[in-house]
Amino acid sequence: MPAVRANHLYKVFGKRASQAVALLSDGRHRDTIKDLNVTAAVIDVSFEVQPGEIFVVMGLSGSGKSTLIRMLNGLLPPTAGTVEIDGTDITTLSRRALRALRGEKISMVFQHFALLPHRTVLENAAYGLEVRGVSRAERHERAAHALDLVGLGDWKDHLPNQLSGGMQQRVGLARALTADTDIILMDEAFSALDPLIRRDMQTQLLQLQAELGKTIVFITHDLNEAMRLGNRICVLRDGRVVQIGTPEEILNHPADDYVARFTEDVDRSRVLTAASVMEPAPKAEAADWERVAPDAPVVELFQRVAACDSPLAVVDKEDRVIGAVSPTTILSALAMPEEASSAVPSLANGTRREGAAK
Amino acid sequence: MSWLSPFPPRIPLGEGFEAFNTWLKDHFGGLFDVIGTVINWAVTTLRDFLTEPQATQLTAIAAAILAVLLVRARPIPVLVIVGSTIALYVGQATFELGNTLVNHSPPQLFLWAMHLFGQEKVESNLVIGIVALIALVVVAAVYRIRLPLVAAVAGGWLAVILCGWLLFGAIPEVIGQPTAILMMLLLSTLAWVVAGWKLGVFSLVALTLVISIEQWSNAMSTLALVLVASLIAVVIAIPIGIVAAYSTVVSRIVKPVLDLMQTMPAFVYLIPAIFFFSLGAVPGVVATVVFAMPPGVRLTELGIRQIDKEVVEAGEAFGASPFKILTGIQLPLALSTIMAGVNQVIMLGLSMVVIAGMVGAGGLGNQVYQGISRNDGALGFEGGIAVVILAIFLDRLTAAITRRSPQARAERAAA
Repeated sequence: MPAVRANHLYKVFGKRASQAVALLSDGRHRDTIKDLNVTAAVIDVSFEVQPGEIFVVMGLSGSGKSTLIRMLNGLLPPTAGTVEIDGTDITTLSRRALRALRGEKISMVFQHFALLPHRTVLENAAYGLEVRGVSRAERHERAAHALDLVGLGDWKDHLPNQLSGGMQQRVGLARALTADTDIILMDEAFSALDPLIRRDMQTQLLQLQAELGKTIVFITHDLNEAMRLGNRICVLRDGRVVQIGTPEEILNHPADDYVARFTEDVDRSRVLTAASVMEPAPKAEAADWERVAPDAPVVELFQRVAACDSPLAVVDKEDRVIGAVSPTTILSALAMPEEASSAVPSLANGTRREGAAK
Repeated sequence: MSWLSPFPPRIPLGEGFEAFNTWLKDHFGGLFDVIGTVINWAVTTLRDFLTEPQATQLTAIAAAILAVLLVRARPIPVLVIVGSTIALYVGQATFELGNTLVNHSPPQLFLWAMHLFGQEKVESNLVIGIVALIALVVVAAVYRIRLPLVAAVAGGWLAVILCGWLLFGAIPEVIGQPTAILMMLLLSTLAWVVAGWKLGVFSLVALTLVISIEQWSNAMSTLALVLVASLIAVVIAIPIGIVAAYSTVVSRIVKPVLDLMQTMPAFVYLIPAIFFFSLGAVPGVVATVVFAMPPGVRLTELGIRQIDKEVVEAGEAFGASPFKILTGIQLPLALSTIMAGVNQVIMLGLSMVVIAGMVGAGGLGNQVYQGISRNDGALGFEGGIAVVILAIFLDRLTAAITRRSPQARAERAAA
């Protein structure tokens, strides 16, 4: 059973929302229904998130990603469609039941941290349990544990404003961890941080995820971040899903020109792994070659492949050779996939042709 | 042509207002009487306390402060003490329970005190207060909670009582004249504790000036009126402000009403106020409440609306109920803005006192009004200066409370 399932979700703001949904479900673009005086934020979005997965929703501002994440925990009711959390359709729940479900199953981390400035770090981290009525001693103990996990054990009695941005966001993360929910929603959680701190936070999130096995829905406008964190990525454009796939699928088989243009900026060597670039290896010779794991990112292979005369052998856990990586394979993998690179210039042509047709 | 001349025809707006008021008084006269009695009682009690503080009242206040200090650390014993004290007071008020208890206890308990203070009878209310005070001090001592603070309060209480007895030869049951200096010291101490030594020194000097120009009892009477009116205004304003912050419809309705309340000449409120409550302090308080309430509503609404939406969302996202979000997030974060509103309410209330003096509310307003009618510039100026001193005292005091709000502390922590 998926941890989160979004089923043909729509969110349209405005009085004639249902009329707009009917038009949008016929495939009309949201700009063509402007005369209804509605704002279509999310249009026909469906996906499933498996337990223990990091699912990244990627899109530029205005693509509806913040609206989408707020429908997943019922902060916004969808105009049409359903959201299922562990098989429960939350769109039919009463307010009280919805609050209980949020407290037990879904917590959230916010872009601008959203900490309570008048409470100490410890009290902030304990907030979720406080709402649920857990006793003071127990919630403080669990909050202290979560703060230790994110490395803020010594800052318990400080006020949030005394901390740097990265530390404040770690308090936000500790608050979500203390609530001990299986699902964590992260709304542009690292976007307000400096690039270096953002990298640290990403690393820490990956470590925590490996340790605790939470289901994470992560929202970002940064494809590099999406590629780094996501097991799967959902690309949104103008409220609609453009593509859902693993980072490698998105990189190697972008669904359309829009996605392809995004992938231009991605550092491919960090996303691609040995397994995804390797070529068939002649087993007899490969036995003597230096070995690499299939999930090693390409960026780690540069030096090793340059230092050897022979290609590298990619081996699985049982030490069986499953492929080979040579300097040539790496170089050709790092180049843009052909269909995508040729698609970029034609994008301009395409739009011009459409314009001419009108 | 005669049919044309009355254009526009006269609309009986004022008459309608009058008729509405008459209708209100005819149908809800009893309600207005109750409101009037309650307000009158509150103003009189507060004024009497400020001009002639009773040992009984001081004891009750000291006990209340101790209870507030201790209740969070040890709720059960403190609440038991507070509950039984209230029960004893109620018993004393209804069927003289205290007197009965005192008469049935061994006389040795009281004889020495009666002898010491030259008393002929035992004041039961005072005894109840002292027992409660002692019980609370014992609780603090046994559980070792905030001992220095508790000692300061209990010691302060003792010092005040002894001061009244030794300095002014007054019996502790009623600290007699001149109580002005005692109350002045108490108010200055309050200013010092809440707002720091600067305001403490200012209060000492300025309030002494008020005593020396013989406006003390008038000033205290005005202070009582302003405090009661402000309290009522705030109690009405904050809930309206909260509702207006939640509902745009309510906000749109409330705004023009507030504009009307604020821009209508304040004198106009006095006429219906007298109609409903006759002369005295009550119409003054009612007119002051109407005139002073708008900033309380406005700033409460503003304070809640300007809170970062994400923080409220965080509350919702962790499953907090609307009530918990209101009390745990919105009100604490809006508190400094709300307190700015309370400050404005008090200041507007003070600006109404002179006008309220015209309807016999007494106090400094009355002095100024007399100054006008007798063409007595000296009296008017002295009354005016006393109003200014009260205004500065109240303004700085509420500003200091604002600075101590959790949100303000958090902002200072950032700096």
